[in-house]
Amino acid sequence: MGSLATIRGLHKTYLMGDETVHALDGVDLDFDRGEYIAILGPSGSGKSTLMHILGFMDTPTKGSILFAGEEVSALSADRRAWYRSNHVGFVFQSFNLLPRLSVLENVALPLLYREDFTEDAREAAAKVALERVGMSHRLTHRPTQLSGGERQRVAIARAIVARPSIVFADEPTGNLDVKNVDRILDLLGSLLAEGITVVLVTHDLAVAAKAKRVILMRAGQVQEDRRQ
Amino acid sequence: MRLLIRIRAAVINGWRELLANKVRSLLSMSGIILGVASLVAMVTVVQGMVGNFRQFVDAMGGIEKITVDKQSLPKEQEHLIELSEGLTMRDVEQIKATIPIVRYVSPEARVGFEKLVWEGREVNTMINGVTPDYLPVAKRWVEPSQGRFISDLDILHKTDVCVLGSSIVAELFPPNIDPLGKVIRVKGKRFVVIGLLNNIEAQGMEIRSASGGKSKGGGGMWRWRNSGVYIPISTATSKFNGNDRLSGLGLQVATGDDLNYAVEQVERTLLQTHNGLKDFSITTNEQTLEDFRKTEVAFKLSLGGVAGISLFVGGIGIMNVMLASINERIREIGVRKAVGARGSDLFLQFLSEAAVISVLGGIIGLAVSVGIVSIMNYVLMQAVPTGVVSKFDWIIMLQGLSFSVVVGLIAGVYPALRAASLDPIEALRHE
Repeated sequence: MGSLATIRGLHKTYLMGDETVHALDGVDLDFDRGEYIAILGPSGSGKSTLMHILGFMDTPTKGSILFAGEEVSALSADRRAWYRSNHVGFVFQSFNLLPRLSVLENVALPLLYREDFTEDAREAAAKVALERVGMSHRLTHRPTQLSGGERQRVAIARAIVARPSIVFADEPTGNLDVKNVDRILDLLGSLLAEGITVVLVTHDLAVAAKAKRVILMRAGQVQEDRRQ
Repeated sequence: MRLLIRIRAAVINGWRELLANKVRSLLSMSGIILGVASLVAMVTVVQGMVGNFRQFVDAMGGIEKITVDKQSLPKEQEHLIELSEGLTMRDVEQIKATIPIVRYVSPEARVGFEKLVWEGREVNTMINGVTPDYLPVAKRWVEPSQGRFISDLDILHKTDVCVLGSSIVAELFPPNIDPLGKVIRVKGKRFVVIGLLNNIEAQGMEIRSASGGKSKGGGGMWRWRNSGVYIPISTATSKFNGNDRLSGLGLQVATGDDLNYAVEQVERTLLQTHNGLKDFSITTNEQTLEDFRKTEVAFKLSLGGVAGISLFVGGIGIMNVMLASINERIREIGVRKAVGARGSDLFLQFLSEAAVISVLGGIIGLAVSVGIVSIMNYVLMQAVPTGVVSKFDWIIMLQGLSFSVVVGLIAGVYPALRAASLDPIEALRHE
């Protein structure tokens, strides 16, 4: 598979009061398409910051990111929104489904911000994505009517509905029971076949063990990058 | 086109939010509802009063009318009273000959308040001697089916004919009798009824009698205008009054713009024919109209101010609810941004919510205003039986509605900007 992202010399500093915090302190990484990666590390290690920057939610203080062949380290907010809309999917620990929308509407939500999707096309794509995660029997349910595992499957459907290049799963199993953990991780793993790069962000070794490649972060730096 | 699609989606979403929080939405709408209702109701009622007065001025001959009346001499001229002839037909001829911008001159010789008799039925009313120019100056007419007005020939031959006002007809004749050609008696003299004047009524408004039905002779201030009896001026002066003196002149200027110039000219001409004696007064409807305009402006400003304040309060209500709603939905904003929404998408979304609230509030407000005006009409009719009923005007309602939309949009801008500028990471972390 080809290269998706090339990160060189990535720095991110915050000002917390008078103190400068180095959330990322010189990170060099290469992500390929279709990779199953776990970013592992304790809280404060910089793994979330790395996810936010790679997920176009934030910009680095310094460094370069080549994403799908384009330099993307200093994009405007609207341009970053475009990348999120076209290339990125997010799966959160707390699902983050909108309670007032139905399952189908939640999954179709990302396409609402895509001008190349009509209402019918949005619905059709959402149905395909829900089919993919085995949730097409719950289209009209509200998220509150679903179990945790079901909610996360819906959230995964939402993450893949726009056919992203990369999906970030931030502690995706943190709120699930043991039975559902494997199901969700397997589901995420199955996305690789479609050329999607899956990045698990976790501090759980057992979860990270599912990935083919583990990046261990500590104090804003890559401590270890191993394929298993 | 794309923007339209985005707006459409945002409006649909706004509508759903509104339905999802019915009580909160209704509360936030209440300010707009009351604001629009009071604005539209007030403007409608003021408009009704305005129309009422316009018609009054028009019934008085309109803005182009100049009235010349007899007047006692000023103090410094009192010793010259012997020389004062009062207003005469000579003045009429002089004005007609020298002031071309005066289109019509209508001299009047008042006979007085007299008893009319027809087959034992009597009615007391004012009898005036007039010329054919009375019609254009008074802005009245005789319908073709209702006979004719006094002609120049009647003046020349001092004929004993009369034209009746509509309320006199109703009082003097039974309903099934055609008054035309009937002979009535005034002070022992016989007059043939040759015509009936039009019934002066307020157009565009209904004048109601106490019983609620339309009164036949016109109500209130129009009633006296419908009660006169008119005879040729020469008949009045020669057969009743015994002198050539006129009680007044009504003049009509070509346009209201020439009014002041015409007043000057008339005064100069009359001073000439009256040997410098100021035994006449000149008045116009302009002053009346001016007073009225001031009242109208004062009404509009004060009532509009009250309504404006309530709309403003309504706007604050919407802003308040929008801010609260955004606070509750910070996470939602974060999620939307994470899945690709731009700041402008969220701006549009929240602005649309404010717009939906204000439009709906405005529409409900319009409905409430209909109720308010109906109640005011009812109360007005109880208090003043001949009161004027205000009618709804689509333009006023449309203005009220657009006002509410503007207020809603302005009130929505700040909350929408806040939603648009939220940092997605912070928003997603929000508990």
